[in-house]
Amino acid sequence: MSVVIFVLMRLAPGDIVDVLFAAAGYVNESDKQFLMKELGIDKPIWAQYVDWLRGLAAGDLGKSYRYDQSAWEVIGPLVPVTVELAALATIFSILFGVPAGILSAVRQDTTLDYVLRVVSLAGLSLPSFWLGMVIILGLVAWAGWIPAVTYVSPREDLAGHLVQFLLPAAAVGYRSSALLMRITRSAMLEVLREDYVRTAWAKGQNGRAVIWRHALKNAILPVVTVIGIEFAFLIGGLVVTETVFNLPGVARFLVEAILWRDYPIVQNLVLFIAVVVVLSNLLVDLLYGWLDPRVRYSS
Amino acid sequence: MRLRLPAALLAIVGVALLAGPVLGQAQKGADTGKAPASTKGARAPHPNGKKGGILLAMHREDLAQGFSIHETATIATVWPSMPCFNNLVMFDPFKPVESLDTVIPDLAERWSWQDNYRNLVLFLRKNVKWHDGQPFTSKDVKYTFDMVRQAADAQTRLRINPRKDWYANVETIEAADPHTVIFHLKRPQPSLLMMLASGYSPVYPAHVPVAEFRSKCVGTGPFKLKEWRKGEYIEFTRNPDYWAPGRPYLDGIRYVIVKERGTRFAALQAGRLDISFPGEATKPIADQLKASGAKLNFTPVGTNVNDNLIMNIKKPPFDNVKVRRAISLAVDRRAYAKAVHQGGAVAGASMQPKPYGFWGLLEKDLARLPGYGKPEENKAEARKLLAEAGYGPQKRLQVEMGTRAIAIYVDFASFVINELKQVGIEATLKQVETAQWHPLVTRREYQMGANLTGLGIDDPDGNFYENFACGSPRNYTDYCDEQVMKMIDAQSQELDLKKRQPLVAQIQRKLEQDAARPIMGWRLDHFPMAPHVKNLVPHHNIYNYGRMQEVWLDK
Repeated sequence: MSVVIFVLMRLAPGDIVDVLFAAAGYVNESDKQFLMKELGIDKPIWAQYVDWLRGLAAGDLGKSYRYDQSAWEVIGPLVPVTVELAALATIFSILFGVPAGILSAVRQDTTLDYVLRVVSLAGLSLPSFWLGMVIILGLVAWAGWIPAVTYVSPREDLAGHLVQFLLPAAAVGYRSSALLMRITRSAMLEVLREDYVRTAWAKGQNGRAVIWRHALKNAILPVVTVIGIEFAFLIGGLVVTETVFNLPGVARFLVEAILWRDYPIVQNLVLFIAVVVVLSNLLVDLLYGWLDPRVRYSS
Repeated sequence: MRLRLPAALLAIVGVALLAGPVLGQAQKGADTGKAPASTKGARAPHPNGKKGGILLAMHREDLAQGFSIHETATIATVWPSMPCFNNLVMFDPFKPVESLDTVIPDLAERWSWQDNYRNLVLFLRKNVKWHDGQPFTSKDVKYTFDMVRQAADAQTRLRINPRKDWYANVETIEAADPHTVIFHLKRPQPSLLMMLASGYSPVYPAHVPVAEFRSKCVGTGPFKLKEWRKGEYIEFTRNPDYWAPGRPYLDGIRYVIVKERGTRFAALQAGRLDISFPGEATKPIADQLKASGAKLNFTPVGTNVNDNLIMNIKKPPFDNVKVRRAISLAVDRRAYAKAVHQGGAVAGASMQPKPYGFWGLLEKDLARLPGYGKPEENKAEARKLLAEAGYGPQKRLQVEMGTRAIAIYVDFASFVINELKQVGIEATLKQVETAQWHPLVTRREYQMGANLTGLGIDDPDGNFYENFACGSPRNYTDYCDEQVMKMIDAQSQELDLKKRQPLVAQIQRKLEQDAARPIMGWRLDHFPMAPHVKNLVPHHNIYNYGRMQEVWLDK
């Protein structure tokens, strides 16, 4: 993975020195060589890779070319912002998507089912960046107000912090919730047709027990898988939302770093995203075992 | 209470008597160390000026090279760094049109031209301090400008140096005494003062390594750097030891970085920001804000930024002046301003047109230049020139138009391509990522390009030497004409403004006739700001009004 990240970045044409000279409006070849040497990007790629791995093993993530500062100092403050936003968006999607999916399945082919399906279809069709922009422009047009455009620390102003995060979380979470709703609905419909559910109804168990204890518990596995994938996707996929709501997160910064060819920042951020993907998959596997005893026993 | 008061008085008197000699000495020392800085030439404070408040300023992107203004040529660095620094001289913040007449004292409280404009003697303010407490002296001035002009004996070197050519006429810089500095010139050049007044020309401290400006800022300016949160904001706080009496008014400035343009202006409209970013409020944006009823004041100003076409003169077919002129004739400049900028740009040759600039050609002169007269006549003339160069319906001229893959550049290039089609030229668009654009242009690996040029000062020297002089690194077209060079040198050393103006006009006409770098239009800004922001006067040049020393908030 690290090799792929490292090599791919260097295959893209141009480097940080080109970008720096672009900001000055000219290029001087001898100054360029001097600067490349100063930044260590004149070395062969394999030597740069070894240097990076060696640093990584010693807990040194390298130095941002753009900011002339340790990569960790640059990346550190961004991580909690993105993790919080992704977590809030995931919570929003679960709170809205799963109950809506259950309702839609239980009330299949009713007006409520049709309305919820249209809502979910809209969620999948509308890009979250468009929705984010509409939220911002709508707020400013109708209320003359938008959330803070600089990061509000929860320690300083918890209410302001929540307001700042809830709107983007809703904009992103809506799409995920639409996906969850559809997965929950189809999984529930499948389970609701099973013999043991029919038996439960026949035994005269109350509806809530049948749906929550018998049906949902068995239908939830594919939903959990999707939640895990969505969370991992959000960590790296919040670029536009972070940009529209001006949140200083990982995804927005990653794009900036790519445009600046700030290799140490890109390498470490991509590695971070890869670690989150692996960890969220691991968590989903563990949840499988907890939710379904058959998985636990078979393993 | 009656008992306590005399006791307290006695205690104070007793402490004063005991500590008297010590306090006296300390006060004396403090007097010596904190003598007020000389304030000659400094404007009296505004009678209604209110102190306090934090100005929330819009910023479109993070700093490219920290606060190292001398190492960049982008407004994104100059605008938020200017409050940290002082220049030797500066443009009057209250006069939007900049010229030699609007240059006022800054760190130099006065100056004197000597030896028929060969020596510029600057008398520096006394007791001015850097933000770290070190005294400011003529050594700092010599250090800064020797570094920028890359003098042989310069103490340090900039890793990127875009404005070296501005000071090509400086022979030596002499720190005559701690408060006098002399710029010795090779030949007379009155415009040197304009260059020194630009936002691009701050004085750096000699005792701080230049590399440190990429992450911190030590200046003598009205504001000290408080915090730079990467990608979020840059915050300054008032410099309590600032030399100008009663300034700055503001407690601080926070430049909030908002990457998305829609969000930037929504934040301005919602009151999350107080002022715009220079050059950002195009006419469509301003119209939209006005229509929405936003409580903002708008100031229409020039930007001193032009859209221009670059052609690789060293390679066919653009080594043929007829082909270049045909291309210039084909593009209708007034249609360009309407279509690409929705009326938010004005036609003009190589100097910013009046009333935004001082040197621009008059309308009657412009009308005679390629691309400015009647479009149909111009296009017919273009076809004729192409035929003379051997191109026509049988042998169509095919060219590649390169530009940066950014919407504003692509719109510009697309318009030109469409215009060229009307005279039989087939141009294809090649979008190049920003990181690749300048290397490509510098290596001259392009045929034609849609380019933007911002000029630090409204003076022919700041423009011609940088963009049209033989061998200049920013002369992307490699246009080099001996006669034009002589004219550029002649206007540069002309002391009589009345004689200099026609010379400059003549050069502009010649550059347009030769299609050296045909100018498509000059961009306008509508700088919006909240009504409570006072004393901020946008200039007709984006680079020179960011000091914020005179700005106050009427809240």
